[in-house]
Amino acid sequence: MQPLRDAQLGAFTFFASALPHDVCGSNGLPLTPNSIKILGRFQYLKTLTHPRLCQYVDISRGKHERLVVVAEHHEESLKDCQRRGKPVSPDRVLQIAFEILEGLAFMNKHGMVHQALSPHNVLLDRKGHVKLAKFGLYHMTDHGADVDFPIGYPSYLAPEVIAQGCFRSTDSSLVDPPLPSGPKSDVWSLGILLFELCVGRGILQNIDISERLKFIINLGVMDDIVTVLAEEHGCLEIIKELPEKASALLRKCLTFLPSKRPTPSELLEDSVFEGVSCLYTPYQKAAGLFSSSLRCAHLELPEDISELCKDEGDDYLAERSIAEVYHLWCLAGGDLEKELTNKGIIQSKPPVCTLPKFILEDGESFGQGRDRSFLLDDTTVTLSLCQLKNRLKEVAGEAYYPLLEDEQSSLPQSSSSNELTAAVSLPLIIRERDTEYQLIRIVLFDRLLKAYPYKKNQVWKEARVDIPPLLRGLAWAALLGVEGDIQAKYDSIDKDTPIPTDRQIEVDIPRCHQYDELLSSPQGHVKFRRVLKAWVVSHPDLVYWQGLDSLCAPFLYLNFNNEALAYACMSAFIPKYLYNFFLKDNSHVIQEYLTVFSQMIAFHDPELSNHLNEIGFIPDLYAIPWFLTMFTHVFPLHKIFHLWDTLLLGNSSFPFCIGVSILQQLRDRLLANGFNECILLFSDLPEIDIERCVRESINLFCWTPKSATYRQHAQPTKSTTDSSSLGKTPSYFSTSEFQDLPKTDLCREPLKLAELKAEVSPRISAEDLIELCELSGPAHFKTPVKKPKPGKAKILAVDIRGSEDFNRGHIPGSINIPYSSAFGPDGELVQCPATTTTLAGFRGRVIVIISNVMKNAATFAAHLVRVNYPRVCVLDGGMNKMKSTGLLTVPSPQI
Amino acid sequence: MRKTKGKINATEKEFVFEFKAGRKHCVLKVPLQFPVQENVSDLHGRLMLLHNIPCFVENDLKNSLVTFIESETIRDYDNDAEVALQRLTSGEVDINKLTNCWAKAYAETTLEHARPEEPSWDEDFADVYHELIHSPASDTLLNLEHSYYVSVSELISERDMELKKLQERQAVEMDKVMQELGKTMSDQDVNTVAAQHFDAQQVLENKWASELKQVTGIQKQEYQEWVIKLHQDLKNPNNSTINEEIKVQSSQLTESVEAGERLFEEQRQLEESFTIHLGAQLKTMHNLRLVRANVLDLCKHRRHGSSGVKLRRLQTALSLYSVSLCGLVLLVDNRVNSYSGIKRDFATVCQECTDFHFPRLDEQLELVQQVVLYARAQRSSKQREQQQQQQHEMTRNGGSEDKNKNLERNPANIIPGEFYISRHSNLSEVHVVFHLCVDDNVRSGNITARDPAIMGLRNILKVCCSHDITTITIPLLLVHDMSEEMTIPWCLKRAELVFKCVKGFMMEMASWDGGISRTVQFLVPQSISGEMFYQLSNMLPQIFRVSSTLTLTSKR
Repeated sequence: MQPLRDAQLGAFTFFASALPHDVCGSNGLPLTPNSIKILGRFQYLKTLTHPRLCQYVDISRGKHERLVVVAEHHEESLKDCQRRGKPVSPDRVLQIAFEILEGLAFMNKHGMVHQALSPHNVLLDRKGHVKLAKFGLYHMTDHGADVDFPIGYPSYLAPEVIAQGCFRSTDSSLVDPPLPSGPKSDVWSLGILLFELCVGRGILQNIDISERLKFIINLGVMDDIVTVLAEEHGCLEIIKELPEKASALLRKCLTFLPSKRPTPSELLEDSVFEGVSCLYTPYQKAAGLFSSSLRCAHLELPEDISELCKDEGDDYLAERSIAEVYHLWCLAGGDLEKELTNKGIIQSKPPVCTLPKFILEDGESFGQGRDRSFLLDDTTVTLSLCQLKNRLKEVAGEAYYPLLEDEQSSLPQSSSSNELTAAVSLPLIIRERDTEYQLIRIVLFDRLLKAYPYKKNQVWKEARVDIPPLLRGLAWAALLGVEGDIQAKYDSIDKDTPIPTDRQIEVDIPRCHQYDELLSSPQGHVKFRRVLKAWVVSHPDLVYWQGLDSLCAPFLYLNFNNEALAYACMSAFIPKYLYNFFLKDNSHVIQEYLTVFSQMIAFHDPELSNHLNEIGFIPDLYAIPWFLTMFTHVFPLHKIFHLWDTLLLGNSSFPFCIGVSILQQLRDRLLANGFNECILLFSDLPEIDIERCVRESINLFCWTPKSATYRQHAQPTKSTTDSSSLGKTPSYFSTSEFQDLPKTDLCREPLKLAELKAEVSPRISAEDLIELCELSGPAHFKTPVKKPKPGKAKILAVDIRGSEDFNRGHIPGSINIPYSSAFGPDGELVQCPATTTTLAGFRGRVIVIISNVMKNAATFAAHLVRVNYPRVCVLDGGMNKMKSTGLLTVPSPQI
Repeated sequence: MRKTKGKINATEKEFVFEFKAGRKHCVLKVPLQFPVQENVSDLHGRLMLLHNIPCFVENDLKNSLVTFIESETIRDYDNDAEVALQRLTSGEVDINKLTNCWAKAYAETTLEHARPEEPSWDEDFADVYHELIHSPASDTLLNLEHSYYVSVSELISERDMELKKLQERQAVEMDKVMQELGKTMSDQDVNTVAAQHFDAQQVLENKWASELKQVTGIQKQEYQEWVIKLHQDLKNPNNSTINEEIKVQSSQLTESVEAGERLFEEQRQLEESFTIHLGAQLKTMHNLRLVRANVLDLCKHRRHGSSGVKLRRLQTALSLYSVSLCGLVLLVDNRVNSYSGIKRDFATVCQECTDFHFPRLDEQLELVQQVVLYARAQRSSKQREQQQQQQHEMTRNGGSEDKNKNLERNPANIIPGEFYISRHSNLSEVHVVFHLCVDDNVRSGNITARDPAIMGLRNILKVCCSHDITTITIPLLLVHDMSEEMTIPWCLKRAELVFKCVKGFMMEMASWDGGISRTVQFLVPQSISGEMFYQLSNMLPQIFRVSSTLTLTSKR
């Protein structure tokens, strides 16, 4: 998107037409409101960037189907030229015509027609170049079908547009709604517009609309339309004196029959522009991220680097893109409706004055006067940036151009940097609303992402602080390691041929996150379908399970205009977190996952685990939609974003911790209730405080030994060549994915599902034990992850072998509680010095049970859980594993 | 009837692409549907995949595909356009009709071409009042309103007194007559006396009615004039007298707090509040309240003196022209008048205080009656049209007979599920009253979610959405008074039905208005027992998801 420069932000508003009361769609669901349809179609307009078009920025829905569109705006328009009442010089007319045609041709190439061309929609920037405004209205309203008002202005309508008739005619004789107009209609409008410029006055202004339209239609029988028009307005002289080229242009534009009229792109090539076209270079779109072309291939640096900064003024904000400025404007307290109300564009009557008097059983209302405030006033209001600039007054210039080289300080060293570091500690919700903070984050992320994948590591680092909402889509793609020419890949997938899954997808989409305006729009549904189909088709070994739609939703929402990226992100996300969840027979994967989850509950919250097991409320009953959709099925999008911001930084075992932390938030209610109430509670999950959930799950994650969440059906280790290509990807909490570590014999070994299910507590690997006990391990261990806190070991190793075995050799720091003597007949912890003092004293730390008989260790752990000892786990493979390491010690004989 | 987008005359055209691979000359022919709906890149990708086209022609294929589609689309546009123009020249479409249609569309929908608005007294007054009530002058306004209220209620009590006296006198007379019955008087005579009494009563009532009407008319005019004047004076800061007046007046009429009386009054009302969340993923918060009270209690002003009256008045006045209105559902029979039952009681309450903003209730009802007749006429003409069309098209016409039956009734009456709306500025807690028509069916035990009364509720909620009525009171049992057949199971069944339906409608509403927080009050008749009330209040959280209480402790 282009920088703001001297442009302004403008807003205009209109109403979508109301739906007829109580009509259902063909699928039995309520019809989509027209405003949502428009909102969905609008999104595409944001991607259209051309120097001759006003950049569309945003659309928002207000009450009662009101829509407010935000776009680039310039105060001056051709209307002002017209108002001066003097003819514009023919050369200038040609220039304007050429620029308008450039814009029109670009639009046509993207399947769009302007239809509302008129002097006040042709804006002029400071340098006098043309910027077309409101060019997307015809597109976003489905050729005028979704609004009550006709699109276009009576004097400028092309004859064929008039002949097609208009929508919403109450007259039943014109049943057929009009067919959409083609690109050539705009050429006629342009012709009228240029004619007005040439003669320096508006035409057909003083007569009644129906007469005006009749006049235009009747031009069809005239030979020379330009002359007739000139005669009609008494300016034949001026027209006759026009240079050859200008008058030829007029005649070409004002050709009555569309088949004889040129299209904008044909006209651009026409000889009338011979003198003009050489002044312009055709616009080329800059290559974006993830494209096959070289992003900097055409970068040419001047000899003297300082020349680069020559033309940049002090207004650094103006160098940011329009979308960013608008985003910040909103954060700085901008309120669209208020701005429009202040300018008198939105005038609303008190609702008590507009109530209907009588309503029929089917909902049709009567006795309601026509409300004038619903009439179209398409004046564009300039949004004042004063407030925003005031807000950002203190931000130093360096903040706009942070240096990325220095790994140490990523935040700019400006006067406000101290405040910013203080800001980091504020709650995320507040940071996301802080204008200054967001500006700095956006600038930083924008730069980092432009340097992706080179700056991948720094993206990870910054993402740990937070991700600015404006750039979340790209930031996530970077975190997921999306690379390559994704568009070409996406294009090459066949998304059209019907497949058996279509029916299910069709059923699921209208039920997926439909509270959201984007995702409930017809455009959203189309995109949904395409991305889902693309994924299903391109993963032949996997199948569509219900829930994949929810999983797709956040990616589609964030990358609404970039399906390829949404697809690429989803394709990268699923193997990372949901490996093989979408197999046709996924029961073994899910069963193992849920078993590990219930072990995690027992590990972190034995009391809750005991209660849930007692009432038989097992994870199979509630947690499958959680994990299968990575919580997208249970939370609204805005919460998913915050959750996933963290999830994407963790490894595939992080979801367990999220699950446990959700349970912990509902702990009191779960503990107090029986099976039925719990089922009811989870059928409609209560509000979850997501920030707390994230915070607690990070905490839980830090307490969880890496190997405790080992799953044999997890994603296998990637080949080393793959991961070493860009250095190791740093992860949030641990250096790398557990599965990524090289296999040694100290790793955990796969267990049969039945065995796994039988154990209450998780097993951990010998490796983890060594690391956690800070034993001097074998050399292949690279770096300790957590800084050892002297004097405060996090772990207690409990050796439950007989004391003789213990004395023959044990792990340093471990205590001995022989299995046979520890528990009484009814599972009570027997009172003996070792148990009462040591175990109780170490309550809260990770307790590792070590034995040479795994079964004994598991039983021992189960007993401990039963008496509510948290963080109990078992050493996988038992003592035998440790023997080979040579780390065992023999206690010195007691003196 | 929804207008579908124009019949898209789909045509199939063949795209031909030739290329050379080595010495081989290959031809690719693809039939394409026009207008092309699908994405060109997708189409291109699919062609490459499907036909195993060598990659060295990839770009050529794409270019020629794009040009082909572009040129063919333009040709289609041209054809369509010329066909349309042809229709005009051939006279198939009347040019006058067409242009008039355009002119009408512009005039009706755009500000630029619309007829200028005639100034409306109501709205200007609304603006002025809204501004004043949100200024220091609000106190003065309320005091003025109150003094008018007092004078009207004096008048009313005088009327009641006189009526009572008359009735007493007549009773004595009647007694005498009855005693003489069979002696000097015949049945005929008794009837005559009774008729005389009735006439006398009527005359008196009419006299008072016209007097009241006159007084309220004068009050309203005085009030409105005064408000306008006050507004003008306030705008003009030089004129400080009125400001002084406001200051002086505001100290008057301080309320004497009679806590005891108030407590007594409040005790009879049982109420319980709930905060609920609706929605599967995105949850919206709403307030629900279960209230045991007489429906007219929400309308009646409490007798002067009790505290809270002024506050409530102020609250109602402040929000009158705002975007948070309060509504009430009143269940009425099928006639638009105020002669009997709850309608009469409601009308009496409305008279107790002058409405300074909206027409009197009887005037509003008269207008409603006209609108009803108009609506019926519209409907029947539309239906006739449809029937003709249906017969014309020889399609099935099953459902239409049903509706014809309704039309055979008196067109001035309304049918169950329909409702009319009246507006009030003079009621205690209500601005808008929905008069929902119900029949005796609601007393039976077996109404369903498809019942007209329930559908009426849905439409009421819809109007609430479109007109910013954020507080709505609904009679939970769909009756205002209890009777014998309404047993405990009946009540529970009915309450469950209404709770569930309203929940469904509220969830639907979230999609209409984007989930604005609302307050829904469920009203149960005064006469149900306290125990019943608690049963109902236990039922509510089982149907709605009550939001969890906020725990302020830091640990779990």
